Amino acid sequence: MAKNEKKNDINKLSFEDAIKKLGSIVQKIEQGEIPLQDSLAQYEKGMALIKHCRGILQKAEKRIEKITEEKKTGDRSQKTE
Amino acid sequence: MQNNKTKIYTVSQINSLIKGILDNNLPRRLTITGEITDWKLHSSGHCYFSLKDENSTLPCVMWKSSFARVKFQPENGLAVLGTGFIDVYVPHGRYQLIVDRLIPAGVGALQLAFEQMVKKLQAQGLFDEAHKQPLPEYPERIGILTSESGAAFEDIKDSIWSRWPCVKLFLYPVPVQGEGAAEEIAEGLRDINRRNRKLKLDILIVGRGGGSLEDLWAFNEEVLARVIFDSKIPVISAVGHEIDTTVADLVADARASTPTKAGVVAVPDMQKVLGDLESYQSSLNNNITLCLRYAEQQFDESAGNIADAVKEFLAERRERLYRSFEQIVKIEPHQLLGKVRDDLNHLKNRVSTTIQTIVNKHRIQLTAQSNLLTGLNPKSVLKRGYSITTNKKTGRLIRKLEDVQIADDIITELVEENLIESKVTNKQNRIE
Repeated sequence: MAKNEKKNDINKLSFEDAIKKLGSIVQKIEQGEIPLQDSLAQYEKGMALIKHCRGILQKAEKRIEKITEEKKTGDRSQKTE
Repeated sequence: MQNNKTKIYTVSQINSLIKGILDNNLPRRLTITGEITDWKLHSSGHCYFSLKDENSTLPCVMWKSSFARVKFQPENGLAVLGTGFIDVYVPHGRYQLIVDRLIPAGVGALQLAFEQMVKKLQAQGLFDEAHKQPLPEYPERIGILTSESGAAFEDIKDSIWSRWPCVKLFLYPVPVQGEGAAEEIAEGLRDINRRNRKLKLDILIVGRGGGSLEDLWAFNEEVLARVIFDSKIPVISAVGHEIDTTVADLVADARASTPTKAGVVAVPDMQKVLGDLESYQSSLNNNITLCLRYAEQQFDESAGNIADAVKEFLAERRERLYRSFEQIVKIEPHQLLGKVRDDLNHLKNRVSTTIQTIVNKHRIQLTAQSNLLTGLNPKSVLKRGYSITTNKKTGRLIRKLEDVQIADDIITELVEENLIESKVTNKQNRIE
């Protein structure tokens, strides 16, 4: 259960948060700051973050929305792509 | 003598005459070069000043409506070209240049205006690096304020998505040149900032494609510069060609030299990020491999220890086994067997002796019994000379006188089945 929760947490991260977390894990690992017994957990977390980041990139869709001045048109926004 | 008569003019007449002469003889419009002096902007909005050169000065007036079109800030000592017409102010008898167009001499008016604006805003600290907001590294929602119909929007869009497709773009259409454009762009920025709790834009891009300095002028205006400076959302300017610099470029948090460079400034490069992810992954893999090797090595060491321990254990047991074997060999099994056989024989002898003794004892007893039994057999006494007499008639043993009658036949049995038959002739008791 705890593991699933953790997984969900990762999936909720923005790309920026995820890749920054990932960077810090890799940095810690490379600098030998992670004890051997934690390595596997960190490895799994890192891999989950990579998967999440790749997922965001793969799901990328180019979308445009038009916003116009509120007082003129209300809050109407129009999707063009 | 009219000719001799001196014609007398009134002041008004002569001033009007001069006005007429000047109006008729000077070009309708003329441009005069000079240096501004005695500059005065009246509260009415009209401007009063003079143009001068080394030897002379010319009074000038610029009405409010004309002054509104002047982009730069006129000031004393500035070399300018004033265009307009010479007018005589009849009530004062003064002539002056009515200026409707004032431009700097040498350098363009807009160029000058730009330089003046830069100087002013720089002095107020609007361009200071300290005020620049950092851009998010991986923006998700970018607002673009530009003309809906211009090429700039396509350029900005393509430059962003070619690098980083996972960002949503929001177009906020604004005019990018002409009267009021700066105000509209400024109002757009304010509007987005007000609504950003909902819009959640993390970067704004203001821009347009290349054009003349005049075309780009909106991006040099103070009203836009102030709003860019105040924006809570980081602003990127992307105006004109590489060589153009606008006030908006200087005050913005980041600058793209052209709209096609907006992507480079605003978003990361997907290929690079994928590469980063790749290298993160291999770094993680290398590390975990290293950990596994390390664990394997530890295991190997432990296994080696166990193997050594087992070997040692076995060696020790083998040693004990050898020692036991040697002891066993010393025991000499054949000797042991011989002894056992002796013991066994001895036991057997003892047993048979015992049995013999018992048998003998019993045999003796049996003989004695047998002898006793033999003695009891009536017929055995016949051997010792005794005989058995029976009455032939009754067949009974004769033990008393009464058992026979005179004349009875009696049979006397002797040893070895010998019989004697006789006749009773007498009966008597010897005691009687």
